[in-house]
Amino acid sequence: MKKVVINIILVVIAFIVYFLQSNFFNWFNIAGVMPNIFVIYVLFVGLFASRTMGIIYGVSLGLILDFVIGTRTGIYALCLGIIGFISGTFDKNFSKDSRMTIMLMVLGTTLIFEVLKYILSFLFALSGVELVNFIKIIALEVLFNILLTIIIYPLIQKFGYYIENEYKGNKILTRYF
Amino acid sequence: MYKDKKSGIIGIIITIIILILIVIFSNGEIGSSFLENAASNLVMPIQNGLTYLKNKIGGNSTFFADINNLQEENKGLKEKNSQLEQSLRELENIKTQNETLKEYLNLTEKYGEYKTIPGYIINKDISNYSKTIVINIGKKDGVEKNMTVIGDEGLVGHVISVTDSTAKVQTIIDTASSVSCMMSTTKESIVCKGTLDEASTLKAMYIPTEANIIQGDSIETSGLGGIYPKGIHIGTVKRVTNTQNITDRYAVVETAVDFDKLNSVLVVTNQ
Repeated sequence: MKKVVINIILVVIAFIVYFLQSNFFNWFNIAGVMPNIFVIYVLFVGLFASRTMGIIYGVSLGLILDFVIGTRTGIYALCLGIIGFISGTFDKNFSKDSRMTIMLMVLGTTLIFEVLKYILSFLFALSGVELVNFIKIIALEVLFNILLTIIIYPLIQKFGYYIENEYKGNKILTRYF
Repeated sequence: MYKDKKSGIIGIIITIIILILIVIFSNGEIGSSFLENAASNLVMPIQNGLTYLKNKIGGNSTFFADINNLQEENKGLKEKNSQLEQSLRELENIKTQNETLKEYLNLTEKYGEYKTIPGYIINKDISNYSKTIVINIGKKDGVEKNMTVIGDEGLVGHVISVTDSTAKVQTIIDTASSVSCMMSTTKESIVCKGTLDEASTLKAMYIPTEANIIQGDSIETSGLGGIYPKGIHIGTVKRVTNTQNITDRYAVVETAVDFDKLNSVLVVTNQ
């Protein structure tokens, strides 16, 4: 029962994230560069729920994005699915209590996501190679994402640990010692 | 994450302030003029005083002042000269344009016969690397794939997929887009590609080696390629970049449509 409620809340958050990204950040941007809060969202689902949840949420959110806005179906789905997988792996290896690790995780996942997406869209002949501009955009994007993470992390932390208790239950005890 | 609550909250507030400042400064206009005013009010009285002192001390400054004046005058005259030359070139442009327009009168009549459907932009792309838009008209309104989309000022893009009530449009500034166009004065054909650089500029490539590109020349579609009809205005040449090899040179084209402020579009249904 609790899991159903958690999933409903997660879906609602996904919609809020989508509307934030497509409306609010179109206006609130650094020199025309938007952050990518889908990556942060999938990262947190993967970190706090489980690897499978991360992959499921990543792929389904990616598919919706592909249908709504993407030019080739599957690019967003694949990239976000991989982010979900990676964040599940991060959960096993790193602590979630340190500010630095979370920031580094956001940096890593954003870089992986954007580079992968750029390579894929290049392979599908959706873009040419413009390395300098690409690096400029990606640097600003990573910076924006890290700043956003610092701001919203305490909000997510409480809900995250609630989800974690529900999903992993008594499997993980190390946190309390 | 934070050792005690107080420092955590302070950290968050500082981050929020930094983020807002970055956004304001990077986008200019909104807050910078206010801050600039405040800063200049703070500094200017001192600056004025210092300048006054400097003028008092430097007694024989008139000679240098004269030279400065002359230099300024010379500079101004040079500027004026180049302006006049530019206006002469513009007039020549207009002359040739006038001829072409007369030539194209038949086409403009045809242009008027195009049936268009008005639509609103309901969604812009969420990523920084592609620039597709979604409009609120679809199959039900008669929109089909590969139809041309224009704005009030010029070409916007073409439809890449349709659903019953929406359509996805690839704009000409998308990096995947390339439009076959020609310069209105010299009739040389070039290809305009979208770039990641900034919104509302295109990169004009494959310029013929003997072609003469004029700054401020207007660019329109050539009708080759089968998607865009002939003679739709795209924009003007902003600057020409010459490279060592003349075949590599390119021009930056500023689109007539301002894609940041684009709200409503027209879909051309018959071509």
